[in-house]
Amino acid sequence: MDINILLVDDENDFVETMVKRFGIRKMAIDSAKSGQEALAALATKDYDVIILDVRMPGMDGLETLKLIRERAPLTEVIMLTGHASLEAGMQGMNLGAYDYVLKPADFDDLLDKVRKAFERKELNAKARKQGA
Amino acid sequence: MPRPASKEPESGSDRQGIGQGSDQGMLARATGARLWKDHGLLLWAHFLVPPVLAALVVAATFATPVLAGILAAIVLGIAAVSARALMIRLSQTEEARLALTNQLIQSQKLAAIGELSAGIAHEINNPIAIIAQEGEWATHLIGEAEKQCSADFAEVKDSLREVRAQVDRCKNITHKLLDFARKREPVIQDVDVSRIIEDMARLVDKEAAYKNVTLVRSLPQDLPKLRTDAPLLRQVVLNLMTNALHAVSEGGRIEASARADNGFLEISITDNGCGIAPENIDKIFNPFFTTKPPGQGTGLGLSMCHTLVTGMKGEICVDSKPGQGTTFIVRLPR
Ligand SMILES: Nc1ncnc2c1ncn2[C@@H]1O[C@H](COP(=O)(O)OP(=O)(O)OP(=O)(O)O)[C@@H](O)[C@H]1O
Ligand SMILES: [Mg+2]
Repeated sequence: MDINILLVDDENDFVETMVKRFGIRKMAIDSAKSGQEALAALATKDYDVIILDVRMPGMDGLETLKLIRERAPLTEVIMLTGHASLEAGMQGMNLGAYDYVLKPADFDDLLDKVRKAFERKELNAKARKQGA
Repeated sequence: MPRPASKEPESGSDRQGIGQGSDQGMLARATGARLWKDHGLLLWAHFLVPPVLAALVVAATFATPVLAGILAAIVLGIAAVSARALMIRLSQTEEARLALTNQLIQSQKLAAIGELSAGIAHEINNPIAIIAQEGEWATHLIGEAEKQCSADFAEVKDSLREVRAQVDRCKNITHKLLDFARKREPVIQDVDVSRIIEDMARLVDKEAAYKNVTLVRSLPQDLPKLRTDAPLLRQVVLNLMTNALHAVSEGGRIEASARADNGFLEISITDNGCGIAPENIDKIFNPFFTTKPPGQGTGLGLSMCHTLVTGMKGEICVDSKPGQGTTFIVRLPR
């Protein structure tokens, strides 16, 4: 089962490691370096799960989350944060993030959350189809 | 015993429809209309035995006065007992009816406040956006003017910055309100509650450490999976933990625990903080009720928790002793 994943983070090393690790599991993931890039990517492809760093220069993670939720309400977002900020955590959850992962992220943990987020997206899509 | 939240736990389907079908049933039950079905025979006896016996007394008077006396005493006794039973029953049903009416009024009030505030939020959202845009434009113009006539508009810029900050605050509130009013159908998944509590606790840990507060987790190893909406539950847990963190003072303690019992899973967040004053306990689930200084709390946290938990077909209760601490319990069906 293929999951369309987009990783949004301005930290190059982290992105590279993640792409590699997902690659080992035969999961291709795309990456974006900023909120703007993420939104541009979202306009061209239908992502299932977006892993989004809270702290980025330019448009920050919460602002990006808001726009993602507006433009692709079915896409699930997992927030990623290096410093555990409670306020950002609350805002993220209230804005409809699916889950939170603290950096340094444990890969299996992250993978597990991605799978759960994808499961939810599928359930949601099915429910909408039936509702329509 | 923790007291149930004053908002009536209602099923998601009749969110606004208060006072219809199911409530009528509850009202009937509370007022004792059901009494006839359950105790019909007994009630017939209640009403009929005394007059029948009275008739016997009259008949007996014609036979012997002694027999009449004994029968009269029995009649009086039975009449007294049945009258007492009826009185007790009546006052019980009256009490139940009152409690229920209060519950209905409370939940109607909450629904009305919620709807009204969402309406207002929607209406003022656009003007606020325009104020923000114009403010930005004015800031830009001032910047240009400054360059051209090399004057110093520091004060004007300062005041524009303040306008912007306040507009941002308004935007935050309207967004929260609109988000709050948006009806979210829960999406049901297998959820590992221990994991959710642990994850959310980690978000709180750092801030707790600043305050020298310990956040203890007591989570059983064998907690069964719950079928519920994961992100909604995360929101509830995080809100309760944050409230607890705000309530405790330096060196305080918060405990997050979970346990399963018959058909339910219970999550409790206990703190040894300031507690809730008795006169406030009925209001804490109201939208906008807050004891925090302006700008620090909007008072939407618990109200949102209540809506989310009810949407998950669960219940949220609070138990608090001023000066000693507070426990919030979330009970969800498995
Ligand atoms: N654990 C607690 N201990 C003591 N008081 C509490 C606790 N939780 C909530 N309260 C009281 O209930 C009020 C309402 O809580 P609620 O979460 O709805 O709003 P808030 O925390 O004030 O603001 P917001 O959550 O919107 O930032 C609080 O202001 C506080 O007085
Ligand atoms: Mg709160």
